[in-house]
Amino acid sequence: MPDNIPLEKIDDYHWRIPRSYKPGMRVDGLVYADEKLLKDIRQDKALEQVANVAFLPGIVKASMAMPDIHWGYGFPIGGVAVTDPENGGVVSPGGVGFDINCGVRLVKTNFQYDDIKPKLKELVYALFSDVPCGVGSKGNIRVTSKEEKQILVRGSKWAVGQGFGTQEDLECTEEFGAIPGADPEAVSERAYERGKQQAGTLGSGNHFLEVQVIDQLYGREECDSLGLNLGQVVVMIHSGSRGFGYQICEDYVRTMMPCLKKYGINVPDRQLVCSPVNSPEAKQYLGAMRCAANYAWNNRQCLMHLTRKAFERVFGTSWQKMGMYLIYDVAHNIAKLEKYEIGGKEKTLCVHRKGATRAFGPGHSTLPERYKKIGQPVVIPGDMGRNSYLLVGTQKAMQETFGSTCHGAGRLKSRTAASRSINSDMLLKELESKGIIIKASGRQTVAEEAPQAYKDVNDVVDVVHNAGISKRVCRMRPVGVIKG
Amino acid sequence: MSRSMVRLHHGPLFLFTLPKKAVKNYELLEHTADIGIRVKAGELAGLFKSAALAITDISAERLKIQYPEKHKIVIDQKADNVEELFVNWLNELLSASAVEGLIFEDIQINQINENFIDAVAVGCDIRNYKVNTEIKAATYHQLKVQKTGSLWQAEVIFDV
Repeated sequence: MPDNIPLEKIDDYHWRIPRSYKPGMRVDGLVYADEKLLKDIRQDKALEQVANVAFLPGIVKASMAMPDIHWGYGFPIGGVAVTDPENGGVVSPGGVGFDINCGVRLVKTNFQYDDIKPKLKELVYALFSDVPCGVGSKGNIRVTSKEEKQILVRGSKWAVGQGFGTQEDLECTEEFGAIPGADPEAVSERAYERGKQQAGTLGSGNHFLEVQVIDQLYGREECDSLGLNLGQVVVMIHSGSRGFGYQICEDYVRTMMPCLKKYGINVPDRQLVCSPVNSPEAKQYLGAMRCAANYAWNNRQCLMHLTRKAFERVFGTSWQKMGMYLIYDVAHNIAKLEKYEIGGKEKTLCVHRKGATRAFGPGHSTLPERYKKIGQPVVIPGDMGRNSYLLVGTQKAMQETFGSTCHGAGRLKSRTAASRSINSDMLLKELESKGIIIKASGRQTVAEEAPQAYKDVNDVVDVVHNAGISKRVCRMRPVGVIKG
Repeated sequence: MSRSMVRLHHGPLFLFTLPKKAVKNYELLEHTADIGIRVKAGELAGLFKSAALAITDISAERLKIQYPEKHKIVIDQKADNVEELFVNWLNELLSASAVEGLIFEDIQINQINENFIDAVAVGCDIRNYKVNTEIKAATYHQLKVQKTGSLWQAEVIFDV
């Protein structure tokens, strides 16, 4: 159902939902999109949700929406909301979502497409067999309860300590693979139970592992710095915190429900339930959420380890010799306390990225030395038939979006509509004719995740690049897809 | 608010049959990223039961029964109002299903009012099913649980 929300054009890529649209909005809505994408965005209730997020106490600047925005539950998917704790700013579990630290990592290889082409089918089957995927899949990397608690604090460092990676992998992961402030005491027993069997599993739905080939270079300096060339093979892994994160979100949505009354908060949708960042409820949530974030980083580290092992099995040489080094790992569902300068004064703000990616520009103090010059790599997955992207963060993102950009293509069609209209067998044949081999644990997932169900990621990336909130480095196309 | 979940017992080994995809007790609501349902019933108990069984219908497809043992889980929930009770109930089922590795095939409601439910969820091993869709949680977004005349109606959106 198309919306009728007032949108004021600021320029070709910036649109404003005026604060006057709804009584209770504390700031404007700011939407990054072009006319083409807006036509799709207007088809669902995403813009209404952008306006609703503007009700959050302590929200700073604007309720922001990236060009891949679509209708979520409470917060839109593709939203950025920043609050000031010194000014009553809140944190909302709905502003992170159930899949806490759902994110993406990109691994490079020394291979050119022609090197792997003869073995591509074998490789895809090996990855499908070695990387546990599908609903409720259990991992082969079994952890004890004591180890699970360590994972919640140490994140990817736990996996590296087990020999499932290197120090360099940690440097190439947002927060170096473990966000400080994780509090295992704030995690329910149920979350522990739900998470303990799922370490090292991909999951289902839109999660995937893809073998991709670079088909377009944009930033010569960045590509040289990252060692990327046309035709080079890379691997992208998209997964999150699995049942562990879902349970933490559910627990704290429930815990915070009374906070609306307790702290006199008025929000137009109960899924925006929140609590002041400095309240005990929020501190507990942030402690638990960081545990889930660390669980997810460790999970993707384990998945990368399994991927490297599968490559070793197929190509009979070590992952180091195949040049399988991590480019970067980013979270796209998370809330973080980050420092920004506001009116000449440094402030610690609570940045919710719900379907949005951190995109810190060159020189940022929290980046590893290797990325200080080019800016933080930003990994943007597309759909399984078209493209994905590698971008870098920019200074403009620091000034405009609190160092944030888009997170993917963004859904266009509902899962039910996609399932009804797409024949998965025909789709698989069509993709195979384009040189894309797919192994999925469910046929329904194939239809639900069809390229037609998504916006074109090329359009989304055009907007963030042209708006200047991130910069294109290179584009990939998929050749092998593993879906849960 | 309170929550509890107790595994009652592992039932005896026996074969059972479920009615094959009977007439659906819910309608799907369109949502771009997630899945919504609408359920209707004359009684609150029927409403809660239909929504619970809709989760099974949406997420899983029964295969040949290899593990016929039935498992019963007691679910008690309290909430400040019927909408919170409804979301808590569904989330408790999703959580119990994930933790216990069960798909719930029947619901026996012992006691229910707008603030309290005491029920037994009867499930069987998830390995008897092909799970197509992972439902992460029930949400409050556009949630409705209302009684109009003599009919209860609920709408809920699940994160998938």
